[in-house]
Amino acid sequence: MQQIYDDIRGDFRYDHELNGCLNCGICTATCPSAQFYDYSPREIVQLLWTENVEQIYDAMQEKIWACAQCMTCAARCPFKNSPGGLVAIMREVAIKHEMQSAKDVLRPFGRVMLKLITTGNQLSPDMIQPDHFPDWGPNIQKVEGDLLTLRKAIPVKTLQTVETAWEVSLKTSVEMYTIWEMTGVLDSLELMDENLFDVIEDFIDEKREDYEDWLEEQEEEDDD
Amino acid sequence: MTDQTPNSTEGQGIAGHGSFFQQTDLSAEEAVRATDWVRKHVDRRTVDLGDRMDDVREHMYELEKEGEIIIHRITDDHEPISVKTMFGWDKKVPTKQLWHHKSCGQCGNIPGYPTSIIWFMNEFGFVPGKDYLDETDQTSCTAWNYHGSGIGNVEALAAVFLRNFHQAYVSGKQHGFELGHFFPLVHCGTSFGNYKEIRKYLVESAELREKVTKILGKLGRLVDGKLVIPEEIIHYSEWVHVMRNRIASDLQKIDVSNIRATSHVACHYYKMVHEDAVYDPTVLGGNRTAIITSVAQALGAQVIDYSTWYDCCGFGFRHIISEREFTRSFTMDRKIRVAREEANADVMLANDTGCVTTMDKNQWIGRAHDKNFSIPIMADVQFAALACGADPFKIVQLQWHASPCEDLVEKMGISWSEAKSTFQEYLKEVEAGNIEYLYNPELAYGGKA
Repeated sequence: MQQIYDDIRGDFRYDHELNGCLNCGICTATCPSAQFYDYSPREIVQLLWTENVEQIYDAMQEKIWACAQCMTCAARCPFKNSPGGLVAIMREVAIKHEMQSAKDVLRPFGRVMLKLITTGNQLSPDMIQPDHFPDWGPNIQKVEGDLLTLRKAIPVKTLQTVETAWEVSLKTSVEMYTIWEMTGVLDSLELMDENLFDVIEDFIDEKREDYEDWLEEQEEEDDD
Repeated sequence: MTDQTPNSTEGQGIAGHGSFFQQTDLSAEEAVRATDWVRKHVDRRTVDLGDRMDDVREHMYELEKEGEIIIHRITDDHEPISVKTMFGWDKKVPTKQLWHHKSCGQCGNIPGYPTSIIWFMNEFGFVPGKDYLDETDQTSCTAWNYHGSGIGNVEALAAVFLRNFHQAYVSGKQHGFELGHFFPLVHCGTSFGNYKEIRKYLVESAELREKVTKILGKLGRLVDGKLVIPEEIIHYSEWVHVMRNRIASDLQKIDVSNIRATSHVACHYYKMVHEDAVYDPTVLGGNRTAIITSVAQALGAQVIDYSTWYDCCGFGFRHIISEREFTRSFTMDRKIRVAREEANADVMLANDTGCVTTMDKNQWIGRAHDKNFSIPIMADVQFAALACGADPFKIVQLQWHASPCEDLVEKMGISWSEAKSTFQEYLKEVEAGNIEYLYNPELAYGGKA
């Protein structure tokens, strides 16, 4: 428990985000999540400010996941605290310590994470379909036509894609995978969801092979 | 004996202020002067608060002098227009030679927003491949995932930022231009806020710079062994803001004075690294960030205020995917209902993918709870394009919007049914392979525009 607190406090952003607290509550008054959840940014600041280690741990079990990361709290705080920024640190630490709350909360987010980590795009046209978002209504498109044709009717060539929001070059994707690996993002993912990690790793390997093949083809063409 | 009149300050104070409270005894003239001072300096988010915070750009210039970084500068060739930020700093907004940094939510979901931006650039006579560039060599900023999940870290966000903006810096080379010819224009509000936050950390932390230099070196994305950081982070709505009068005077074809417009500015545009957001004393008295409202005003629409203008849309990053009851409750109860009841708005204008998505897609389900109200929601640039005669389907791409845009379009004097039937004919052409382009990225390799 103490280690969790030390990891939060050890983040280099910590001193940016926490300066003091007047308990004025303006952060909570303007917080969207405070209106719908048992969540208060003021409470998060107070817990960290007063070093209440046990209650910090408790808050990380559920409350921190309510934050919508809009940063309204930060814009309003007279002390230039950023409760939303502190929550971002606490979420990272919750993942590092493999907290069950993080695993539970993030499971429904997995499909989007798969898309993001493998393609660099988050929400693609093939995901925005009535099957996936029934509450968005039956007519997500206002005209008849298959998805690929509708996308090809967008007069910008990079957007004429279905599986990604825009076409991303192979080299770009491979560079992004290198960033994920070198910065430990894939390790965090493995801690949270091993199955998802395995799927993503296979995908990355395949893309890297495609890229190697492409490079070889280019070399052969140059030789000719 | 103690005076017990209502103005008494002795012993008990007035109206609960406490014993230390003292009347100022100002004359009426002095009171007006003092109140004016408070209004000017405290109430308003005026543009004269610059001494409150260090200007990150000053530190960037120092780092550049010390040989640590290269700054991607905005030059006269970018034809910049200067605006004021919240703290009174001058911010140069380049108007030409722009590298479109797309948004992963917007392009997948609201494609009419990037399409409208590019359409405007063409209407101004910009040459694709010279005055702007739209290429496949870019990733999303990945901040949506980070804010939604916490899987990620500052180092990864910084590496993605530097990788993408290095590409923007060198992208002119394959078109025969100098390094730095194209300057990044960020389409997404979250990318805009995230990149500014990350830039600040990079400038402040030598340790972070050292870590990401290793990564960028491995990717071959250093210039002379140094990191490239842009002088300004520019959001597309800032481009629209500085171009608004030219849009209205040169391109506007439709009178929109009968349209009641409300605005919703993305939180990550003006609440995150808020010192850099654009304010203009002539727009809502400088009390709010100028973008969006300024464009609606320039076009002559009726800008109508509503009490929850400061609220976020309810996107929540993770919430819109996995806790949609929060997202839709917030967007319907705090935004759509209020804009409908208080402002009787014909449209709500926004400047970010997440906000447009959230408020657009979550209206239909409201009917399940007898929330029988709706408002079309679109980006400022889409509304401006409609006012300038752009096709609602081919260019503004309103067919992807779940909110009812039909009445707005008709109220603007455009026939929705005619436009729809023309578009359905065009879809047959698309199926036959006869596709129209505003821009062809193969320009970079000698292709035709």
